[in-house]
Amino acid sequence: MNRKRYKQLRVLVAFFVGMIVSIAVAKGSYLLATAGVFTGILFMFLVRSRAKITTDERELSIQEKAARVTYSIFAPTLGIISFLLLLPAQGGFTVFSKGEWLFVESLGIVFAYLTLFLITLYAIVYYLFNKKYGGNGDE
Amino acid sequence: MNNKLKVYRAMHDLTQEQLAEAIGVSRQTVIAIESDKYLPSLGLAFKISRLFKVKVEDIFLEEGSEDEN
Repeated sequence: MNRKRYKQLRVLVAFFVGMIVSIAVAKGSYLLATAGVFTGILFMFLVRSRAKITTDERELSIQEKAARVTYSIFAPTLGIISFLLLLPAQGGFTVFSKGEWLFVESLGIVFAYLTLFLITLYAIVYYLFNKKYGGNGDE
Repeated sequence: MNNKLKVYRAMHDLTQEQLAEAIGVSRQTVIAIESDKYLPSLGLAFKISRLFKVKVEDIFLEEGSEDEN
């Protein structure tokens, strides 16, 4: 199986998974939707390993750049949103600390922890890769 | 950085698809290298030079180098 056939198969599987999920959601069967998605993932994993499709270095380079840009946009955006959501409650506007507006502060807290998690994860992954590629300072 | 990949590919009568398969990359990567939009890694550059049985610097030229043209 060549790369072209693999891509065609991937589109076909995505189409079928989409169809199954749509039907499942319409019928309210979330189990079927989950099963459909996992079956699709498993099928593509098997096809990929059998066809020996390897990601070439240009694709890897593109993925690296895309991940870097995504991170540099997503992390500050999430941080700023969490700050803005937490600001009213912390700024003495008690209306945001109780009643129907309480969700604003809760959402802010969730976003703040998500930001922390994202930065921590990035730092850990960066440290591990830095160590792997000889950036530990040893001569 | 410029390269003569297209020239060497033509000299060896290879299609982009055949070259891509021989060096283990996608056809899009070959197209990108040929059009100077992507600079290959050292490993891939050596692979290409081995395939054409020439030196790396015969295919990949630094901009402004004497060999250019």
